[in-house]
Amino acid sequence: MSVETILNILDRAHTGPFCTVHDWDAKIIPSKVKEKLKEHGVEKTCTPQDPINADDGLVDEYFKAGFELAVDVGMLCLDTERVVKVTDTELKEVIRNAPSELPMGEGRDKIRITHRRPEDRHPPIQTCPLGIVVSEDLFIPLVQAIAQYRIIDLLEGPSLETVYGRPIRSGTPYETLAGRVQASMHKEAVWRAGRPGMGFDEVITSPTVFGQFGGYGVPGGFDPKRHAALILSPSELKTSYTSLHKVVHAINCGGFIFSGTFVLIGGYAGPPEGAALVSVASNMLQFAVHQASYASSPIMDMRYMGNCGREAQWANSVAYQALSRNTHLLTGAVTNQVAGPCTSMILYESTVGMMNLSVSGVSISVGPRSAGGKYTNYISPLECKYVAEVFKGCAGMKRSDANEIAKAIIPKYGDKLRYPPKGKSFRECFDLETLKPTKEWRDIYLKVKKEVMDLGVPLEYP
Amino acid sequence: MRLYFFCIARAKNLCWRGAKTKSKVMTMAKRRILDRLTMAIIGGDEISAKETSEECIAAGVDPLEAIKRGAAGGMKVVGEKFRNFEIFLPEVMLAADAMKACMAVLVPKISEERKSETSLGKVVIGTAAGDIHDIGKNLVATMLSVAGFEVYDLGTGVSPKRFVETAEEVKAAVIALSSLLTTSLAYMEDVIKLLKDTNLRNKYYVVVGGGPVTPEWAEKIGADGYGRYAEDGAEICKKLVTEDMPPPLPKCIVEGV
Repeated sequence: MSVETILNILDRAHTGPFCTVHDWDAKIIPSKVKEKLKEHGVEKTCTPQDPINADDGLVDEYFKAGFELAVDVGMLCLDTERVVKVTDTELKEVIRNAPSELPMGEGRDKIRITHRRPEDRHPPIQTCPLGIVVSEDLFIPLVQAIAQYRIIDLLEGPSLETVYGRPIRSGTPYETLAGRVQASMHKEAVWRAGRPGMGFDEVITSPTVFGQFGGYGVPGGFDPKRHAALILSPSELKTSYTSLHKVVHAINCGGFIFSGTFVLIGGYAGPPEGAALVSVASNMLQFAVHQASYASSPIMDMRYMGNCGREAQWANSVAYQALSRNTHLLTGAVTNQVAGPCTSMILYESTVGMMNLSVSGVSISVGPRSAGGKYTNYISPLECKYVAEVFKGCAGMKRSDANEIAKAIIPKYGDKLRYPPKGKSFRECFDLETLKPTKEWRDIYLKVKKEVMDLGVPLEYP
Repeated sequence: MRLYFFCIARAKNLCWRGAKTKSKVMTMAKRRILDRLTMAIIGGDEISAKETSEECIAAGVDPLEAIKRGAAGGMKVVGEKFRNFEIFLPEVMLAADAMKACMAVLVPKISEERKSETSLGKVVIGTAAGDIHDIGKNLVATMLSVAGFEVYDLGTGVSPKRFVETAEEVKAAVIALSSLLTTSLAYMEDVIKLLKDTNLRNKYYVVVGGGPVTPEWAEKIGADGYGRYAEDGAEICKKLVTEDMPPPLPKCIVEGV
């Protein structure tokens, strides 16, 4: 990370070509995406009937198209409405110089994120969970219960609902305080779990700049030497003062960055093919504009705000295979479940989603997004454990085998994606004294696990 | 004499047939203009929508007819195509822009008493304070345009005060709030509090939605409607303005759950 680079980017954010946000969303992105898809002959290549791609030629073409899109378009700075562009040479240099491995955490809990290729045998890294909102009194027991599963490598969520009983309002000092409080609570929880050296990517409770200022690189906060600073940008191909503040802050603290966004099928990127293309471009631009050490631009389907359906699975497989085959970048992705804890559906969604990411060469995943992230306290450690088991267990699987398994599992939940089961809250499906799942939840977990193992998913039982 | 009356009769007949033909030609010409207006909306062509709307006026097309049969027909097609995923958000946004351009020409030509027929009502929409995410809000705004509402999009990070002031200024029927951040949810409640504190609560419906927004939250803060998906938001707004239920509603209308 360098001051010179961020100054360059800031200069471009003030002097680059002018473009309104409206024109960017409605005209520039869609027209450029259509142009690149056509130029590279990859229009209408989505195969929902085969949701996990195994065509290397296709993904290599998506990579070339995505690289060109990144250079042609750049990123729009929302605050200045100017485009930050990077040249072909600059982008190639950024990719060449990006790390292919990254240590996080310390002591016995130190891990290494490494570059992976499709069907790579090397196990990936699992971060749990996403920033699902959890009440203050449940935060530490929940995180402790998640961290007790040693198969989980890093932590990100959950998010705090309140700070000292007060709602956390965006853009206020409550956020700044919440950043610091989250850091304390996370560290207390992992200490209780016997994993004091676990790494984090933060500050998820408050994704604006105030949370990071309050909790990252401050005494008692997240340590920049072993925890990543988290940048989340709006869709598509956008940066902002918020994101750039965080880059500067990370530089000031001697930290490193995990930068990401979501790409939406049906949104500005258009069809699944457009979303795959934008994801490729976006992943690369996180390294160039936000100086990311690892980045994530997974695809969601706006019809149900998840990504375990056929089109989203296809798009994610193509985008991540394109990147992992053609670069050594450390790429992250997210499986966005919509069903809640204590349901079979969340486990089916997780099986397909995590298996896909594993065989597509993703280095690190963050999840799960239990119940679509909608409900306070609707997250449990057991689905966190499950996503890690599948993600790591499927390392080395063939994409064609994964595809056949996905085809067998998707019909079990595909028609429920828009109106999924809410499931049960942490309190309802876990014993808060023992921090173990209820019998009901454990039985569901074992049943589904056995079922998917019979289909060929390489897991250990129980 | 007989020849004279024959010629008059023949001339009258010819005039009558000519008038009927002329009327047919006028109707066909009008229809063609309206079809071009529909296509301009479907194609998201703002310039063509504006020019064709001006042509409508010049050709004597009733402006309300032009909106209902020309422009609204186009928005209906756009809505259908989006629901079938044949087109996506950008195309819908451009269609909504074209619709606005057409309305800007036609609405001033409509008499005051007929103006209420041009739309289902006015909606002020924005993303709640502290949140810069716009895609969900953009989707709802375009769905509202498709449904026939006049939409005032305030953008992102909108303060409670600005929502209320704009609603007063444009005489809106609905205030629609979107948020993707849990840390912005409190600002949705602030909008309703502000309406109550300024004795305006019974003037505006408040509809909420977005990733972390739930029906329970909507009920808790006293919102009138909650939609899980963008099209649900449009459905709720339609219900609110067409049924006889003044705000605030005793119970929040929930769609999409």
